[in-house]
Amino acid sequence: MSRYVTLKKNDPLFNQYLWGICDIANHTALPMSTLNVGSPEETITFEIVENSSIEKPTQSRVLLNLIKIKKLYLVLVPFLYVAIKNYVDDRFFDPLSFALSLIAMLAIFIGFNIRNDVIDHISGYDRVNINHNKPLLKGWVNTHFASRLSNFFIGLALLISLPIVYRQREEGRVIIVVTILLFLGKLLTKNSYKNHRWGEIIFFVLSGPGVVSGYQVALGAGIDTEVLAFGILWAWSIQFLVHLNNFSHLLTSAQAGIKNTMTRYGFDGAKKIIIYWWIIFVFLWALYHYFYSSVFWGWFTTAILIFWSIPTVIKVDQIQSPLGSDTRMIKKIGYRNFLLMTTLVIIEFTWYWLTKNSWTP
Amino acid sequence: MNLKIFNSKDFPAYLPKLNALYDDLFSGGKGFRSKLVQMVSDPIALPQETQHLLCQTIEFIHNASLLHDDLIDGSHLRRGKPAAWTKYTPEYAVLAGDYLLARVMVNLSGFGNIKLVQFTSETISDLLEGEWLQDSVVGDFFVGLDQLDRIHNLKTASLFKWCLRAPFIAAENYDENLHRTLDEMGTILGQLFQRSDDLLDYDIRNDEGKAILGDLKSGYLNSFGAFISKDMNRAQIDQMVKSHDLNEFYKSFSSDSELGQKLFKTKVEEFDQINTKMIELYSHHLVELEKQLKKPDLIKALKPLTEILYWRRKPKS
Repeated sequence: MSRYVTLKKNDPLFNQYLWGICDIANHTALPMSTLNVGSPEETITFEIVENSSIEKPTQSRVLLNLIKIKKLYLVLVPFLYVAIKNYVDDRFFDPLSFALSLIAMLAIFIGFNIRNDVIDHISGYDRVNINHNKPLLKGWVNTHFASRLSNFFIGLALLISLPIVYRQREEGRVIIVVTILLFLGKLLTKNSYKNHRWGEIIFFVLSGPGVVSGYQVALGAGIDTEVLAFGILWAWSIQFLVHLNNFSHLLTSAQAGIKNTMTRYGFDGAKKIIIYWWIIFVFLWALYHYFYSSVFWGWFTTAILIFWSIPTVIKVDQIQSPLGSDTRMIKKIGYRNFLLMTTLVIIEFTWYWLTKNSWTP
Repeated sequence: MNLKIFNSKDFPAYLPKLNALYDDLFSGGKGFRSKLVQMVSDPIALPQETQHLLCQTIEFIHNASLLHDDLIDGSHLRRGKPAAWTKYTPEYAVLAGDYLLARVMVNLSGFGNIKLVQFTSETISDLLEGEWLQDSVVGDFFVGLDQLDRIHNLKTASLFKWCLRAPFIAAENYDENLHRTLDEMGTILGQLFQRSDDLLDYDIRNDEGKAILGDLKSGYLNSFGAFISKDMNRAQIDQMVKSHDLNEFYKSFSSDSELGQKLFKTKVEEFDQINTKMIELYSHHLVELEKQLKKPDLIKALKPLTEILYWRRKPKS
């Protein structure tokens, strides 16, 4: 058998190869990446490699990579926030539903992360914006298995949410809104890798206000402005990471006609957006603390964020090229900013937990 | 077919300096790109007149890019002679390059195939984008090979893609699958040519006697440089950047120069290996092309290109 196979979309074998369910004894078909970014979803060249030649990490590491274990804190930190806030406010009404909501949230988060990889793989996005560590591109797992795993986690999340809805009826409304937004997102992007603009807005709503509302309602505490304010703050910071990621492959995305905020405003505009986005975040942080936190933590954490942000802003402003190592460096620096902010949230709220009732906003 | 790409009659006689500049520029060039156009055009029986137009077009674009490139890079020599900007002033070099690109559009629009005009304009855009991007990573010694590949795909491979596709467009064959295959082949040829050219900088297969470490000294980490630096630590990269000759360069691998040279050779072998894989992929696309076109002459002509472009040796007959 030839080492390479090129298949067109209308070829009966196309989907079998792409989903990794082709019948090639002891071999795996890996889609090749392309620099010709016009229409990678139309024709794909596959490299046929022997299974034994694929350098595969241990199964547990593959799984951890696939579920993006390092990103789980994106749903764990809001959980911690809601738990402490309601503990301090004496509104910790339904611990069981709350615990179940965490499991459901983790399952849905994992399920959608895997689904996202599957969609990127099928649409051709991962062959245009090459990320060498994607388990699907490396052949560590086949797309079909990943898709089934994604379905399993999403199904698990739905199953776990049933007793929550039974105990906290309001949760049903949150789930309906989230489901509508998810379908809307899928509809607006037409499952294509080329339009991410609507996806950004929907992701913003879901990743912040959506997550904290889900926890809050599961706890039986009801949604309030404080929790929504934190949700917006959290979503704003996550969107900062999304912008940084899109900025790091601005060039290839623009060449491929992918539409997101970064490609829309171009290199110089995108740099400004990243800078202003973070400055606005620090402002929102200060505002949140002004209304809902202790004076000390408000001043202390805002001051830390401002001092830490100055070099970041300077470095983003100094980037000269949409290619090169600068874009990778900025992604790292921005990520560090995010981690610092997360650490501050954890320290601050742990303090509230330990010193319950001994401070006033 | 022997083609005279440049004829002084093509340009206004009342601009003698322009003609003199072109005389200097076009003499001594290997005309590889126009040969590639002919390799594709002959088997598909493209009329001689059209072939001439295409050959002239690609050489005009290529030479316009050289005129501008030498000025941007501050290169004093081109094909062993003073670069145009040093002999005729930078202003004339810029104008002469612009004029060539303008002639391309005049000639092609006269031919009347709007798709060919559009494709050629896109190729020129890609070329300029590539130049621009390359300039933006000068001084970046942490740039990755995948990032440079993107630059080279625009700057170098775009012309190879044009050479492969333009004859079919001129023959009004717009089959999407055919052009996709040719795009992939052009990308590979461009990458291989660029990578081989970048190896010359490290005195690998440097039969032309190209200046050693020229790219590195001018602050540009080329594809081979990016390949070897990905496994280096900061101190090694610092040593690499300040190297004045190959002996100093080997020390970026090991303080023992002899061991450093040995490690360097291992890296060259690894680099050759990844490019061999690319050559295999090119062969695969050739098979695909044969299935689509049923033109064995064309396949025979295109087959040895990787030998010539990457290994810089005459193909075995």
